[in-house]
Amino acid sequence: MLKSVTTVLITLFFLSFNYSQSSKIYGSFESNAVYYQENEEENYENKLGSNNYLNIKYLFNSNWNIEVQVESYLPKRLQSYSDSFENTHLSTLSVNYSKNNFNMSIGSIYDQFGSGLVLRTWEDRQLGINNSIWGFKTSFDAENFNLKLLGGWQKKGVGISSGKIVGLDSNITLFNSDTKYQNLIFGLSYVGRFEMPHYVSYDFNDLTNLFSARLDYFSDKFYLEYEQVIKSEDGIIQFGSISNEFVKKGSAHSLNLGITETGFGLDMTFRRLENMPLFSDRFEQGEIYNESNVNYLPALTKQHDYQLANINVYESQPNVSFPDPELMKSGEIGYQFDLYYDLKKGSNLGGKYGSKVSLNISSWYNLKGQYAYYPSDYDTDFIGFGEKYFSEQSIEIRKKWSNKFDNIFLFINKYYNKRFVEEKSGEIKSQILVIDNTLKLNNKKSIRLEIQHLSTKDDKKNWYGYGLEYNFNYNLSAYYNSIVNYQNFDDDKPTFYSIGASYNKNASRFSISYGKQRGGLLCYGGICRYIPEFKGLSFSINTTF
Amino acid sequence: MLKKIIISCILSLIAYSSSSQKFIPDLGLKTLNGESIRSVEAINQNGFTIISFWATWCIPCINELDAINEVISVWSEKEDITVLAISTDDSRSKKRVKPLINGKDWVFDVISDTNQDFKRAMGVVGIPHTIVTYKSEIIHRRIGYTPGEEEDLFDVISNHKK
Repeated sequence: MLKSVTTVLITLFFLSFNYSQSSKIYGSFESNAVYYQENEEENYENKLGSNNYLNIKYLFNSNWNIEVQVESYLPKRLQSYSDSFENTHLSTLSVNYSKNNFNMSIGSIYDQFGSGLVLRTWEDRQLGINNSIWGFKTSFDAENFNLKLLGGWQKKGVGISSGKIVGLDSNITLFNSDTKYQNLIFGLSYVGRFEMPHYVSYDFNDLTNLFSARLDYFSDKFYLEYEQVIKSEDGIIQFGSISNEFVKKGSAHSLNLGITETGFGLDMTFRRLENMPLFSDRFEQGEIYNESNVNYLPALTKQHDYQLANINVYESQPNVSFPDPELMKSGEIGYQFDLYYDLKKGSNLGGKYGSKVSLNISSWYNLKGQYAYYPSDYDTDFIGFGEKYFSEQSIEIRKKWSNKFDNIFLFINKYYNKRFVEEKSGEIKSQILVIDNTLKLNNKKSIRLEIQHLSTKDDKKNWYGYGLEYNFNYNLSAYYNSIVNYQNFDDDKPTFYSIGASYNKNASRFSISYGKQRGGLLCYGGICRYIPEFKGLSFSINTTF
Repeated sequence: MLKKIIISCILSLIAYSSSSQKFIPDLGLKTLNGESIRSVEAINQNGFTIISFWATWCIPCINELDAINEVISVWSEKEDITVLAISTDDSRSKKRVKPLINGKDWVFDVISDTNQDFKRAMGVVGIPHTIVTYKSEIIHRRIGYTPGEEEDLFDVISNHKK
C-alpha cells in the first residue's frame, strides 16, 4: 500500500513538470517537526517527531478532478496527537465530477449542513482532526434551491468507523428582493448514524436520527438565523458503558440576530444544547482526540490570540455527564453579545486617525432541572439557568496614534468553573490585560512589543508575559516571548518561553523556534484538546504550489 | 526515515519551483447573506482582484485588511482593483463577521467559507494568505502579513502591466 502511494505521488510530481504550463496539478505541503529535549507525555520516548501533509489536486478537465492527501508521521507523530497516526498513509482521496448545477464526489467527503449542529466533516491539522466521510456525495445547486445527499463511514485515525453515516440537506430561498434588499432562506437537514450494538442488545434503535430545521432572514441592516435540532433516543455513556436504564433524547436551539450599519455592528446569540453529541462510534464519546465527531458543537465565546487570554478557555458542554451526585449536567444554555464601533477620524474620541472598539459578553450555564444520580435521570426546564460554567466580558480598543505607531488594548474579566467544565475542582476568577504596540521604523521594518498580565487569587495565581517581534523586512521576522507564572510558588514559578524566526517568500513559509511550551488545552475554532508541556526545537515549512 | 523526509522536502520544493496554480477553481460559495455565487464570478474579470483569506480571531489578518481599507480608495484611482475578503470563520465565529466588517467600515466584498472548502481548494494552509489575480489568472500569492506589506501588494499590481 505504502509503495503504491509513493508511486502515485512521484508520478503526480513528475506530471507537475509536464503540466506546469497548463497548471492541471497543484497543491500544498506542510511539515511540522520537533526535536524534544524534555516532554511530559507518557510513553513518548522519541526525541524527534514530525507531522507531514502533502495535498495534491489534479484537474483532468473542466468537469473531473481528483484530490489526494498523504500524511507521514516520521519517525513518530508529534506528541499529543492520536497514537493511530503512524508511518505514511493516504488520508484523503476523492474523485469529483461537476457539470452545470450537478456535483458528485466519491471518496473523502468534507461538508457541513447548516451551522454544523447535525453534521460537519473537516480537517484541522493543529487539532489533529480529519473526520471526513469515506463514501459518496451528490448535490444539485440551483439559484434558489440546493439539495445534497451523502453517506459512508467516517475516517477514524488511519481506519474507518464502525458506524455508518447518511445525510440529506436542502435549502430553499423563499423570498429574495433586490429593490429593497431582503432574503429569506429555509433549510432542512437529516443525519442518521447506524451502529450495531457492541455484543449486547439494547432497547434503543441502532439508528440515531437528527433532524434540523433552519430559517435565515437577511436585510440591509438586520439579520436573524434560527436553527432547531431534534435528536432521537440514544443510550447515555456513563463510565464507559451504556445501559437500557439511561436512554434520552437530545435537542438544540440556536438563535442569532444582529443589527449592522456603517461603523456599527451588534450581534446577539442564544443557544441551548441538551444531550447533543453524535459520534460515528458511540463509545468514542469522551475520547480526547475528537476523532469521531459527526456534528460540530463549538464553544460560543470569543476566540483570543494572546497567550494569557488562552488560559482557562471554555469548552462547550453538550454532553450528559453524571460523575458524582454533586456534579450532574445535561448540556448548556447561554448567550453571547458582540458590539463593534468605529470612532471616526477627527471625532473627539476617535482623534486624528480614528479608533475601533469591540465589546464581547458571554455567559454559559448548566441546564436547570431535576437531576437524580441513582437511578440516573433528569428532567430539564426549557429555559432555566443552572450552575454557571463560564462568563467573560472583554473590551478591545485599536488606536492609531500616528502613521508609524498604533496599539491594541485588551481587557478581559473572566469566570471559569473548573469543577463543572473539566470535572476537577475549583473556580477561577481572573482579569487579563494586554497592550500590543507596533512601531513602523520605515516602509519595511517594524517592531512589535506585547505586554500581558493575568491577575487571579485562584488556582495557580498571577502570570505576566511579554513578547518582542522585529520585522527586518516583508520576508524575515524574529521574535522572543515569555510567560511567567510568578506567584505559583508550589511549582517554583513556571516559566515558558520561545525564541524563533520565520521567513516568508511568496506562498512559502519556513520557521524555526526553540523554547518551552506550556501544557494545557489547545483550542481552535471552539474545539479543544489537551496538549502536554514540552521543551525543544521546532521547525516548520509550508508551501502552496 | 530521514531519507524519506528529505525526499519529501526536495519533491515539494521541485514542485514549488516548477508548477503553480494559475486559475481559481470554479466552486459554489456563499455571501454573508446566504446568496450563492460562483468563485469565478466573484473575481474581477477585467482587472485585479486581491483575495485575502482571513478570520475574525486572526490579528495579522485584521491588521492587513485594516491597512488595505485605508488605502484602497487611493489605489482604485490608479488601477481597477477588487478586494475579496474570504472569511474562514466557522460557525463559532461566523456570527462576528458582519458586525466586525460594519464596525470597521470595510468596503470589501466578503465571502463566507464556513467549512473552509474554498480554502482547501486553493491549498491555503495558514492565514493570512493573500492571492492577487489579473483577469482571473493568479499572478502572486503570499503567506503572512507584516506592517507596511500592503505597499508590496500594490507594487506587484503596478509592476504587472509593465
